[in-house]
Amino acid sequence: EAKSSAVASSQIFHSDGGEMEPETMEIKSVSEYFTKMHMGSVMSRQ
Amino acid sequence: MDTGGSVVSMRAEEPSFHVRYRMEVSCLELALEGERLCKVGDYRAGVSFFEAAIQVGTEDLQVLSAIYSQLGNAYFHLHDYTKALEFHRHDLTLTRTIGDLLGEAKASGNLGNTLKVLGRFDEAVVCCQRHLDIARDINDKVGQARALYNFGNVYHAKGKSICWSGAEPGDFPEEVMTALRKAAEYYEANLAIVKELGDRAAQGRTYGNLGNTHYLLGNFRKAVASHEQRLLIAKEFGDRSAERRAYCNLGNAYIFLGEFEIAAEHYKRTLQLARQLKDRAVEAQACYSLGNTYTLLQDYERAIDYHLKHLIIAQDLNDRIGEGRACWSLGNAHTALGNHDQAMHFAEKHLEICKETGDRSGELTARM
Repeated sequence: EAKSSAVASSQIFHSDGGEMEPETMEIKSVSEYFTKMHMGSVMSRQ
Repeated sequence: MDTGGSVVSMRAEEPSFHVRYRMEVSCLELALEGERLCKVGDYRAGVSFFEAAIQVGTEDLQVLSAIYSQLGNAYFHLHDYTKALEFHRHDLTLTRTIGDLLGEAKASGNLGNTLKVLGRFDEAVVCCQRHLDIARDINDKVGQARALYNFGNVYHAKGKSICWSGAEPGDFPEEVMTALRKAAEYYEANLAIVKELGDRAAQGRTYGNLGNTHYLLGNFRKAVASHEQRLLIAKEFGDRSAERRAYCNLGNAYIFLGEFEIAAEHYKRTLQLARQLKDRAVEAQACYSLGNTYTLLQDYERAIDYHLKHLIIAQDLNDRIGEGRACWSLGNAHTALGNHDQAMHFAEKHLEICKETGDRSGELTARM
């Protein structure tokens, strides 16, 4: 987007309609997966 | 890269149990190190370890799914959205193949977020819907809330992608307003769930984005109410970045409510926090906003003070556009005070920068 130093009034105070919160990405963790697997095998032995 | 390619090649070679076991351990170790590096924010190094893990290969498709997913997220954080898309697609294909519904929901969510950033909103909506459908089917409230938040973000981004032609908030074409209203509805639906779950962090994020949506819709009182909630939650968590964002967004909303003194107070808090966080670009933006606010208050001495602060930071950051804006604003403030020599100096400087940066619109304004 080409920016100009001569800006519209709305852009004087913000450049992009307010600052957004971060996206929430889903996490798939290898370590958690193995912890669960380990717990599962321990439980099945009991 | 094809999904599960390493697995296929390993099977073709039919290595002994001992070799396979060593490969699994090696892949796992590499993936765990990649995971550790990403957790501390070193995504570049994390990517190297995850890619090495894929090269070694694994027969455990859950592990492969986690590696694809984390690679996609690492590339997402590195702003390499094409690569992020590639790995989240691999993850989606894999989870569908093995019938892992929860994994598919997560892959759909991540793919939706990536497609949104790439401006492919219709495809992003399909992914969000799949995420939501699975979460509902398996009665996963957390998943439903996250899908609704992502949905809101997609419609918010869609609305903004159409509207940016200098129009004022609340005064956009109907197509934009429709997208923004949908975003608000999804954020409200999300809030209903995260409140029920007592998830304050999620509430904070949603209030922030809902506030921005109301702002663009021209509902400035509602925007203030949402950002106040966001601010409260940011303080609960000691999250100074979120606090700073909330103060800045509140300042913007108060400007449009015509309450300039209150806006200035919020921008001053933004400035303090930007300094504490050592974020020079945000510090410059806060000074610029304060300069403009004091111009609206016709306190030109203070306006000049803040525009000069903005100018110095813009020069330090080698931000020529920011420098041009500061000069333009300084020229106007000096004109208002009758300092014609100073006004002329900054007007000429503005013109010089516009010529250098090829800013035709700014150049025309400067010549006036």
